[in-house]
Amino acid sequence: MKQEESDILKQIGKESGFKVPENFFAEINQKICDSLPEVEITKVSERPTLWTRIRPYAYMAAMFAGIWCMMKVFNGLTESYKTELTAKEIAAGMSNESNAEEFIMNSSVSDMDIIMSYEDSLYYDNVIIDTSNSGNNEELL
Amino acid sequence: MAGKYIYDEAAVVEQLHDPNSARDAFGKVIEHYSQALYWQIRRMVFDHDDASDILQNTFIKAWTNIDNFRGDAKLSTWLHKIAINESITFINKKKAQNNIPLDSDDSFLAKTLESDPWFDGDATQAKLQRAIATLPEKQRLVFNMRYYDEMKYEDMSEILGTSVGALKASYHHAIKKIESFFTDND
Repeated sequence: MKQEESDILKQIGKESGFKVPENFFAEINQKICDSLPEVEITKVSERPTLWTRIRPYAYMAAMFAGIWCMMKVFNGLTESYKTELTAKEIAAGMSNESNAEEFIMNSSVSDMDIIMSYEDSLYYDNVIIDTSNSGNNEELL
Repeated sequence: MAGKYIYDEAAVVEQLHDPNSARDAFGKVIEHYSQALYWQIRRMVFDHDDASDILQNTFIKAWTNIDNFRGDAKLSTWLHKIAINESITFINKKKAQNNIPLDSDDSFLAKTLESDPWFDGDATQAKLQRAIATLPEKQRLVFNMRYYDEMKYEDMSEILGTSVGALKASYHHAIKKIESFFTDND
C-alpha cells in the first residue's frame, strides 16, 4: 500500500474533509427502518431446492437417453440379423470343397448340421444346374 | 436498535429468510453497514443530502429484493453493488438535468464543495476531491475504496466484477492522474 501512494497523497493524508450532522447515523438508521415497506418473504425451507428445480429436466434427459439406448439395441439386433446367412448362401459355400472343409474344421456346429448343409448344397446345385444344364443332374445326385 | 451486540452475519442472513425475524434482522444489517455505504456514496456524489437519500434508496431496494438474496455472495458485496448502482444512476440523472454529456467526467459535482456546509476540509483536501472527480467513474470507485476505505483488492474484485490485476492498474492510473492534476493546477 505504501509503495502505491504518491508524495502528494502522503502529504494530504486520508482525511477527506467530509462531515455529517451529529447523530446522523443513529437517526438515518431509524428513519430507514421506519420507511421499510411490507414485503413478502419466503421461508428458506419452503423454497424449491436445486433438485426440485432441475428434476423435470433430469427426467427428460433420462427419457431421451433411454430412447437412444433402445434404438441402439434395436439397431444392433437388426445388424446381427442381417449378418446371418441364408440356407441358400450356406449351401452355395458348402458346394465348394475347400470352403466346406474349412467350415467343418473351424466351426463348432454339430455333425448333423454339417450333413444337412451338405445335402442342401447338393439340392441347390441341382436346382441351379437344372435350370442351366439339365444333363448333369443325375450325375450330381 | 440501540445497544451493543455482536454482529453475526451467518445468523443475520438466516434470520433474513424467516418472515418472523426478517425485519429485525434487516435493522441489524442497516446498523452494521450504513456508515460504510454512506461514505462510499458520499465520496461518489459529494453532497450530504444526496448521499443520505441514496443510502435510504439502497437499503429500501435491498429490503424489497431480500427474497432474491440467497447468500451465495457476501451481504456486504451485495449491498455495495446496490449502493454503487444507485450512485451512478443518480449521477447520470443529475448530468441529464444539467445537460452534461453522460460520457463526460463528474467534476461538476465538486464545484460547490467549498460552499457545502458539510465539508470542512482545507484547500488541499478540496483540491484532492476535485482531482478525484475528474477520474472516470470506475477509477474513482477503485481509488476511493482503496485509498480511503483500504479495502482489499479481492473484495473490490467481487464488488466491481473486475480482476485484481485490472484493479491494481486502475488504482495506479488514478494516482498518476491525481498527481498530474496537482501539477497542472499549481
